[in-house]
Amino acid sequence: MTADTSKASLLSRVEGLKQIPTIPAVLGPLLRYLEQPAEQLDVQKITDMIAQDKSLAAQCLQMANSPLFGRWQKIDSLRTAIVGLGIQRVSDIAMSCGVLNLIPGDTSGIDPVVFWEHSLGVALVCRHFARKISYPDPGKAYLAGLLHDLGIIVNLWVLPKEFRGAFDLARAEGIPLHEAEKMELGFTHCESGRMLADRWELSADLREVVSYHHSLPQGHEHASLIALVELSDLLCRMSGLNHGFIEKREVNLFEQTSFAVLAQQCPGVKDFDWARLTFELDSYMDDVHTLVHAIYRK
Amino acid sequence: MSTAPVRSSAAVEGPPDPDLIRIRDLVYQVAGIFHPDSKLRLLQDRCGRRMKELKVLTMREYFEHLTIRPTRQTELVSLLNEITIGETYFFRNQPQLDALQQIVIPKVIEAKSKLPLKRMRIWSAGCSTGEEPYTLSMVLTEELQRRLKDWTIEILATDLNERSLAHAKTGIYGTYSTRHLTAYYRQKYFTPNGEQLEVQQAVRNQIAFSRLNLSDDARMTFMKSLDIVFCCNVLIYFDLASKRRVIQHFYNNLLPHGYLFLGHSESLYGVNDDFRLIHLPGATAYVKGERVQAGKQAL
Repeated sequence: MTADTSKASLLSRVEGLKQIPTIPAVLGPLLRYLEQPAEQLDVQKITDMIAQDKSLAAQCLQMANSPLFGRWQKIDSLRTAIVGLGIQRVSDIAMSCGVLNLIPGDTSGIDPVVFWEHSLGVALVCRHFARKISYPDPGKAYLAGLLHDLGIIVNLWVLPKEFRGAFDLARAEGIPLHEAEKMELGFTHCESGRMLADRWELSADLREVVSYHHSLPQGHEHASLIALVELSDLLCRMSGLNHGFIEKREVNLFEQTSFAVLAQQCPGVKDFDWARLTFELDSYMDDVHTLVHAIYRK
Repeated sequence: MSTAPVRSSAAVEGPPDPDLIRIRDLVYQVAGIFHPDSKLRLLQDRCGRRMKELKVLTMREYFEHLTIRPTRQTELVSLLNEITIGETYFFRNQPQLDALQQIVIPKVIEAKSKLPLKRMRIWSAGCSTGEEPYTLSMVLTEELQRRLKDWTIEILATDLNERSLAHAKTGIYGTYSTRHLTAYYRQKYFTPNGEQLEVQQAVRNQIAFSRLNLSDDARMTFMKSLDIVFCCNVLIYFDLASKRRVIQHFYNNLLPHGYLFLGHSESLYGVNDDFRLIHLPGATAYVKGERVQAGKQAL
């Protein structure tokens, strides 16, 4: 079998996506509902939507009580969570738990939780970074960070053995996972993620983030969101919120195309204190690990 | 499923005291050392020690001691001393050392590959009692068998304090400094000396200790042709103008491919625009903004 047919065969398996669970029933309608202007959103309706899935609702409460979401008094109901944290935070939490539930249990020896930790870390950094540079929609930035590696979940479900090969290569060589995927599979999680994002009918900007967060196209409509995610992803991969292994390289954010692209829309990026953002990641690391242990590894 | 609140064990319980956050920001602004939320308890503890000394009861009042009172400069130095106390020990920042070994050394070798003189010059600026330069010497000695075969290593170790330097030159250390040494390094590079450990001669031979004031512009000019500078928890005591001068000297003294390492959570933000922050796995460093190929500049 040639490399091309092998890639085509793998991609057709991904396209089938038979094994992968569908987006949790609650989240599709919730996502679409949240696309409305904030003033039209109804707290009770959101509470009812999340409460339909009891397991998800319980996880949401656990997460809402984490310092990651900035609440210091005990939250014991979804309604308190929404009133205390706001609609945006609670929907962030619901989406995060939803993504966690998509991760398969058996993944040929790879610890799948590292990918969730990474995605949650990128989401938090995206939101924090977005606020600091006055990016217009920090909530969207969080969601984009959370979902950017959707393709890894697809690969874990559909091609566990082949993906394991790519993961082992990346870990042994200390290279980025998408480069190893390209070598081992002939495509990356950006392509497989796009298929799932299309199937889930995610909004156009999120689909583009999933597709292009490792290869930002020139003059793209959603370039600044993609760039924001790409830079946050890089920061996390160089810290303890990586993909479970160390990339042996030096990253100069100022030389990234995404840096120049983001600086065009958000001039604050040029004078941004990257060192401080990097040090702040330390807190996320501790809190993300604590949260994941509490929710997932019980 | 339990819905018990999830709290990071490292975090301060309850919302952080706004005055503690103001002190965190002040320390970062003045000294360039940042305490992320997970380290706020440490900062609170260090402030607490000073507050006890001053018989101050609230964080707000202590913030005033640091900002309004006539003794604010002295108090700030006292707090910084508390923050950095006990920071000197062997293998203090392992991710930084791993990045040096796995990424920076290969990059320097590559940059100098076409040069006839295989020499790596490293400066430990503000070496205190010597744990940092000896650690670097051990790490580089390991590389002499591998990537740095046929290379000469020079480690310049300077400090302002004569007593610290005298201690450094003895190469004898107690249990506190050596607590993070692995059995491998302990056995290979140290000899027991009573209750203490003494650094072996081969490690010492690569280091030249000397007294240097980083504010001495004339002498700073002569620290030339450096590949890597380590300056950890030293700049925090300098005012902004002095800090800028010292950093500019580092910039001028480093070769085009050179690297500057600062202490953990230490930043050059607002101090210097010529250096560029880079990210290494689990560590940060600074490189020259416009890096050019080694060899184009006289070495």
